[in-house]
Amino acid sequence: MFKKILVANRGEIAVRIIKACQELGIKTVAIYSNVDKNAPHVQLADETINLGDPTPIESYLNIPKIIKIAKETNSEGIHPGYGFLAENPDFADSCNDIGIKFIGPSADVISLMGDKIAAKKTMEKAKVPVIPGYHGVKQDNASLIKEGKKIGFPLLVKAAAGGGGKGMRIVHSEDLLEQSIEGAKRESKSAFGNDTVFLEKYIERPRHIEFQILADEHDNVIHLFERECSIQRRHQKIVEETPSPIMTPQLRNKMGKAAIAAAKQVKYTNAGTVEFMVDGNLNFYFMEMNTRLQVEHPITEATTGIDLAKWQLRIAAGEKLTIKQSNLIQRGHAIECRIYAEDPANGFLPSIGTLTKVQPPKGPNIRDDSGIYTDMQVTPYYDPMLSKLVTYAENREECISKMIWALSRYVIMGVTTNIPFLKELIEHEEFKKGNITTQFIDNYFKDWTEAKDGLPIDAIIALAVFDSMHNKKQEIVRYKEADPHSPWKHVGRWRVGSEGGK
Amino acid sequence: MFINYEHNNHVYNVTVERRENNYYITYNNTEYKVNSVEEPVKGQLKIIIGDRVIKSVITEGDKEKYIFVDGEVFKVKPVDLTSKKKTKKKEDGDLSSPISGKVVSVKVKKGDSVKKGDVLMVIEAMKMEYLIRAPFKGKINKVNFKEKDQIEIGQITVDISKKGE
Repeated sequence: MFKKILVANRGEIAVRIIKACQELGIKTVAIYSNVDKNAPHVQLADETINLGDPTPIESYLNIPKIIKIAKETNSEGIHPGYGFLAENPDFADSCNDIGIKFIGPSADVISLMGDKIAAKKTMEKAKVPVIPGYHGVKQDNASLIKEGKKIGFPLLVKAAAGGGGKGMRIVHSEDLLEQSIEGAKRESKSAFGNDTVFLEKYIERPRHIEFQILADEHDNVIHLFERECSIQRRHQKIVEETPSPIMTPQLRNKMGKAAIAAAKQVKYTNAGTVEFMVDGNLNFYFMEMNTRLQVEHPITEATTGIDLAKWQLRIAAGEKLTIKQSNLIQRGHAIECRIYAEDPANGFLPSIGTLTKVQPPKGPNIRDDSGIYTDMQVTPYYDPMLSKLVTYAENREECISKMIWALSRYVIMGVTTNIPFLKELIEHEEFKKGNITTQFIDNYFKDWTEAKDGLPIDAIIALAVFDSMHNKKQEIVRYKEADPHSPWKHVGRWRVGSEGGK
Repeated sequence: MFINYEHNNHVYNVTVERRENNYYITYNNTEYKVNSVEEPVKGQLKIIIGDRVIKSVITEGDKEKYIFVDGEVFKVKPVDLTSKKKTKKKEDGDLSSPISGKVVSVKVKKGDSVKKGDVLMVIEAMKMEYLIRAPFKGKINKVNFKEKDQIEIGQITVDISKKGE
């Protein structure tokens, strides 16, 4: 096992990794930028090195700086966490070059899986179902129509250089194919200066379901079941759960085998995730492989009892997996909510400021992975995720109730958070029924705004009591009437257009 | 004590009185007698009013306060009409109305010279009067409201320029 490793990350994931190291008796080196000098990961680590300038490219993304620190501190390994350099093959290579173990898969695998088209081709070889499509060079109408007919309808025409829905068409029947191809090409040409288009089968009622993989360096690969991650905003997950409400033992078995086949095909090592798209008829297709520990890994830990971060370290140290696939069981239900400093009523724009109070909920089977504390500054430099709140219960219904309980007791003040949004989402009838797709937020929460009933009377009373207890300032408003008792009876809220007390 | 809280562009007027060791909160013509208040940690309050229990957490930011009650966070700005902060702001020439109400008296007209602290306008809301005072020695360029006009919070009462400018 390693004696000392460097954690090349910040926030909750750095904290998570350091704690795993502490349990295994591994010393840790934390790196931090100027704005993170009081951060929890810095408090926890055995050694801490300042990176200076908080700009990511100068700090947590600065490969030469980090490699130099790893060498100088005699770190034997580097854990990249997620984000930042976690899926950067050059970083993994740089570690290998100086004999420091990169705690993750090989640079080659990271590189291969980072190329979405190459990854798909590799998966086809492993007989893992991929979304039928055409990504070829023949771009004349006749060839595209021929390929399109092969794929079948509905299908998606999308710009190769695309993004943001530009140059994208959903085609429901053959007679509309030609005009859609031409339309997509025109739009793509004007938006991206390139009219190359791809064709892909259009997945209706899509769900995002992924499988957790652990693979050691001795050819043992296991999967740790699925995570349902359909609830996304701007293609980013915000609520994850396991098991998936639509999963059946047969489908789980099939998808689990496909995930293992995918990992074996690329000689995957360490922890990874195979992401699938699942359609309304429970057909599944490989989307991509994430070559790192996922943000949502705690729900798998809750339902399997397996510590993924510790296994990452053991695997990287060359140890063999001691868990057999046949011994793994999924028990109960777990949900994770990602708490962000953002305003869901305003396009999910990040909110920055000082956290005047942080008080996480505590209780049985509630896990709060966070990197925040009272008086912390939320800066614009990094991802605005504040915490991951995870609840675990015997079944989905109780797990939802527990999550509502926990969200309702999570005090984060000073910035706008998505807690009210998460609460409404979890309480939504369709969510409760498990009817979720990747379009869930667009379908039900598109123009969401917080119910603005104004300040509740309880808040007004509490504020008034607080202020009169702590504010010694004297009354300064001049009252019109001489009778000192009279105005007390007549003041109140007089703004038109909102209701008063309860 | 009389307090104004602003939340989402609404102003809430509350009065607090302490009589015989009890707090009396009056809001929206209703008086609430607070039977007991516990504050084990500053800002963490448990208030009992009859059989109603209010548990809240309050923190103070630079200009605003945050209150957590019944699972929700609300951001409020105490609207303090004559505090130093407000006076300072007014030195920058901010003569916006602190409240919505009725203009009961206009003390100046275009072209008048005023001294710092002179009352320019009186605005009434409910039974109270709010005085708009000159933030500095200056000259009145324009008076935007006349007596009996309705004025909304944030509307500029008077345009004033510093003497000699």
